[in-house]
Formats: sequence, structure tokens, C-alpha cells
Amino acid sequence: MNIEHVPGKNMGHLMLYALSTCPWCKKTKGLLNDLGVEYDYVDVDLLKPDEKARTTDTIKKWNPACSFPTLVLDDKKCIVGFKEDEIRNALKSKA
Amino acid sequence: MSQKDVDALYERLRSEADSGGYHLNPEIEFTKELVKGLLVNETRYGYPACPCRLSIGVKEEDIDIICPCYYRDADVSDYGTCY
Repeated sequence: MNIEHVPGKNMGHLMLYALSTCPWCKKTKGLLNDLGVEYDYVDVDLLKPDEKARTTDTIKKWNPACSFPTLVLDDKKCIVGFKEDEIRNALKSKA
Repeated sequence: MSQKDVDALYERLRSEADSGGYHLNPEIEFTKELVKGLLVNETRYGYPACPCRLSIGVKEEDIDIICPCYYRDADVSDYGTCY
């Protein structure tokens, strides 16, 4: 599967599920880039059908609505939507 | 897809929204990203599915998320904006 890795400061494992067409997802990537943290992301709309199905099953475990962006931190916490303050605070608490 | 295509659809949507009592997000750069997403989806699937929702790629199954989607009015009521 086409998971993109963005290098940066290690703040635990950040996995961003996004859509290539979605400006909120773009803003979330921009925020993580501005914060300089290491993260992985996948643009789910660009996946092959079987990968898309597997990935949406994974997302639904965290976010049953399967909406975007969905950011999973350390396989423990999930932030749905471009919630700038919540993302900043979650990362600050790990610093 | 060119910037001209994005600008043209933006103007059409702005006019349609205004005449229907809606308004596009005044943050033009952001709104044009959305418009670009609509054009990408139109090319990819043959219909302008919401750029912020995951399409199945079958029109009959995506009918609820074709812009303006079924959820627009509820979202506008709840959040003052569509998703």
C-alpha cells in the first residue's frame, strides 16, 4: 500500500488517513509539516479497490463515520477533522 | 485541468449558491481547492462527488455525496457550513 512517510521530529507514530482532493486534509498535512513532526499518511482515494476496502475497515475501527482527515496517534488516540488546537495539544503533551 | 477551469466553475457555483440563498466560503483560496477537488472527481468518476468524502466510484451508490450533497442543509444548520 502506498503509505507516504514524512520525516521529522519523532513524536510517536502518527498515521494520517486523508483524501487527495480534500482541502481539510491538506491543511492537516500542512499543520504537521509546520510542526516538523514525523508522520505517515495515505490518500485513501488513490488506493486500489482492495487496499481501499482494507484501509476503510481500519479507519472505521477509530472513526465509524470513516470521514476525513482521520489522524491516529500511537494506535491509541484518534482526532477526526482539522482540529488544529486539539492536534497541537496532543503533540505538545507528548513533547 | 487548468486554473481557468477552476475559476470558471468557481464563478458558476458562486452564482448558483447566491441565487439559492447560500454563500461560498469567503476564503477564496480554500474554496478554490474544493472546486479543484470537484473537478478531479468529475474527471475521475464522471460526477462531482464531494472532495472531502470517500467515493465508491459507482454513481448510484455515491448519489448522496454528489455536490450539493444530501447532507448539506443539515451541516449548514449544525455547523454553519457544509462538511
